[in-house]
Amino acid sequence: MTKRFGGVAAVDSVSFEVAGGEIIGIIGPNGAGKTTLLNCISGVYRLDGGDIRWEGGSIAGMAPYRIARLGIGRTFQIVRPFGSMTVRENAAIGALFGSEAARSGPKEAFKQADGVLELVGLAAKASLPVSALTIPDRKRLEVARAVATRPHVLLLDEVMAGLNNVEIDQALDMVRAVHATGVTVLLIEHVMRVIIGVCRRAIVLESGRVLAQGEPEVVLRDERVIQAYLGERYAKRLRHERDQEGPY
Amino acid sequence: MVRGDSNRRWRRIFLILAAVVGAYALLAPLTSLDAAQSANIPLLADRLWFRLATITAMFIVMATAWNIIGGITGYAAFGNVAFFGIGAYTTGMLIAKARWPFLVSLPFAPLVAAAFAAFVGLPLLRLRGHYFAVASLGVGVAVGELVQNIDYRGQAVFGGASGLFLPIYATNNRGLFFFYLMLAAAAASIAVTWWVLRSRFGYGLIAIRENEEAAAVLGVNTTAYKVAAFSLAAALTGLAGGIFSQWNVFINQDNAFPIEYNVQMILMALLGGTGTVFGPAAGAVLLQLLIQFLGGTLPISVDIPFVSATARPIVAQIILGVLLVGVVIFVPRGIIDFFGGRTRFSLGYLRRSLRETSL
Amino acid sequence: MGVGFGLVWGVLNIVNLAHGGLVIIGGYITWQLFSALHIDPFLTLPVDAVALFLLGYTMQRGVINRIIRAPLLFTFLLTFGLNLILVNILLLVFGSDFRSVTPSYSGQGLELGRVVIPYVPLISLGVAILLSAALAFILNRTRIGLAINAIAADRDAAQLVGIDLRHAYAITYGLGAACAGVAGGLIAMIQAITPTAGEPFTLQAFVVVILGGLGRVSATVVGGLAFGLVEAFGQSIPGSGSVFANAIAFGLMVLVLVTRPQGLMGRLR
Repeated sequence: MTKRFGGVAAVDSVSFEVAGGEIIGIIGPNGAGKTTLLNCISGVYRLDGGDIRWEGGSIAGMAPYRIARLGIGRTFQIVRPFGSMTVRENAAIGALFGSEAARSGPKEAFKQADGVLELVGLAAKASLPVSALTIPDRKRLEVARAVATRPHVLLLDEVMAGLNNVEIDQALDMVRAVHATGVTVLLIEHVMRVIIGVCRRAIVLESGRVLAQGEPEVVLRDERVIQAYLGERYAKRLRHERDQEGPY
Repeated sequence: MVRGDSNRRWRRIFLILAAVVGAYALLAPLTSLDAAQSANIPLLADRLWFRLATITAMFIVMATAWNIIGGITGYAAFGNVAFFGIGAYTTGMLIAKARWPFLVSLPFAPLVAAAFAAFVGLPLLRLRGHYFAVASLGVGVAVGELVQNIDYRGQAVFGGASGLFLPIYATNNRGLFFFYLMLAAAAASIAVTWWVLRSRFGYGLIAIRENEEAAAVLGVNTTAYKVAAFSLAAALTGLAGGIFSQWNVFINQDNAFPIEYNVQMILMALLGGTGTVFGPAAGAVLLQLLIQFLGGTLPISVDIPFVSATARPIVAQIILGVLLVGVVIFVPRGIIDFFGGRTRFSLGYLRRSLRETSL
Repeated sequence: MGVGFGLVWGVLNIVNLAHGGLVIIGGYITWQLFSALHIDPFLTLPVDAVALFLLGYTMQRGVINRIIRAPLLFTFLLTFGLNLILVNILLLVFGSDFRSVTPSYSGQGLELGRVVIPYVPLISLGVAILLSAALAFILNRTRIGLAINAIAADRDAAQLVGIDLRHAYAITYGLGAACAGVAGGLIAMIQAITPTAGEPFTLQAFVVVILGGLGRVSATVVGGLAFGLVEAFGQSIPGSGSVFANAIAFGLMVLVLVTRPQGLMGRLR
């Protein structure tokens, strides 16, 4: 897919495939186009070129709510809770609408919501107003709400940003738990520990293009990737050090 | 907890008050029936009473209806009086020109109003905030003007500047009939609001209000829902207009599309509490009482010192303006908050409201 | 009129429904000075500007600032309430009779060959251009003007660099009111005024800003010209076109909003 803003291609002919049940990480320096990519997939942006295919059909140009109905769920980098509702009600919105598997009446939706809150660890805070939640909890709620839509694919946008190490571990467990229920997960992240810890495959974006793809450990050692993140001087230094040290 | 007790007490006071007012509203009219009169029961509801009560019920319908699009969905429409007028003229035209009976013409008022709302809503609801508010105001004003002035081959289609006259509805006790009819419309509006707030539809609307983009990616068809809410509000408002046209027997641009109604219905919903079931109704009753009191049309009236009779309506408007400013600054969440048991009315509350929104 | 309205809207994010009332106050000040002291109406315009500036400053600082961070609905209602108060005070003081300001040269005009351009509208145009230029100057060259621009761009950042928001907001509103006052003085010379005559002006100001585009003074000027053209065109439609003038204006506005929300010249916000 390709997406342009004015003269700049934020996403430039990015192409990749996702198989069911995978956990894929999308990484890259700031401004690489990761969130734009997510916005294209979830229908928030319209593509300027290319296509997105889902289970054989094209979803490019579909309204966001229809993409959600197909089973593609997402979270927002800066969380967007429904401020005047409780935690439980927030999660229930996902179950009330969402994919074909969800979309139930209020009673059923609240039951589903309870289940999802249990999954992400917010069950104890279900009746609190959203304003009473800490940032990590709000991120959990954001994930819970998206999971409540019973998606086939879940797009997570920098869920780990701003979390300390303990909270990251907890969030990692949460992601694994969600994945274990059969959801395919696409993670945008800056925290490498997360990518290495949970992703089977990583895609590196830079300036709107795919720089590298493959297993996280391999990709992160790729010189081009290091160069993209840290700059050419550091990459050269690293290469020099490696040559000196030998294969280790 | 002490606060809980006092809140419960306020809630009980409110419920008792509401019950008393409700019973009075329902039963007092019965004293005007011939049967009651011949039994020498004192007349609690005379023509003035019926007039004021019917107008109040009318505003309950409008405020509650506005609440659906403005309070629950968060799209503050400023031109809803257009639907009132459309409803009034629909019923009016069917009765006056097509000679249909009133009760057959009435259902068309909400239908036509809703259809119009769906038609203008599709482009309009794509706008946000300021733009939507003033665009809807513009539509409201424009519709009134058009209806008054459209000519077909030299003849005013809708009665033009001289207005539309309807035949008087033949019934024994007109005051009672139309009051109960309007009251039924009010009850229907409140019932619809109650239903919406606990339905999937209502949750979707609130989600749209709180964060439209999040709602969309969660699977809410925001366009369809917004238009539906708008049309629903229009239908109820149109119903009030339809009843009004036959009740008043005469409609023209001034009484079917009065611009001040726009602000009044919003103020009522605001005063009572937007987004709640009974808030707009409470606000409507309160504000209507105040307006009538200031205007001197209530049986009990107080002379404002230093003000002559001619200046009285002007001073009343000034007081209304001051009240509006005061409510917006100090009680933005409406008074129903106090009766719902969540907060106590105190200086601290006023100060807190102020701090939340001021610079 | 549009420029003052647009300034308040662009910087404070307030749609000022009291605009019409402020305009009419300006008209009445001019009328009072003209009829009681026989001062040439064009010379009263600076008085209008100063008086309305002070009024506007006080209104903003005292009242409107209290709800500046509240959702849009509240500012709408608040300014509507303020308008109610202003207009009715005018009614109390001046009564509802129509007043007009007719200086001795109001019927005469500049003769260019066979065309006569009446003096009053001609000078009014000059005043409007002068005022817009003055406003642009204030916004781009003075300290307070730059502060206002900064706030319009990023309110929090502006506070961080030490700009007194309350004062700056009040100045902005005062400037907007001053423009309204001058507009009122000019209008008093063109048509008869009564306290409630201000209602259509607010809506017209809105249409002007939308047509031209929010963001720059020049854009609003273009909007004003465009609106004037549309109005004149609407008046000249055979039949009862003049009655539909309002409806046409609003129809145009809605059309612009839906198809090109940034207006003819504005930038998308």
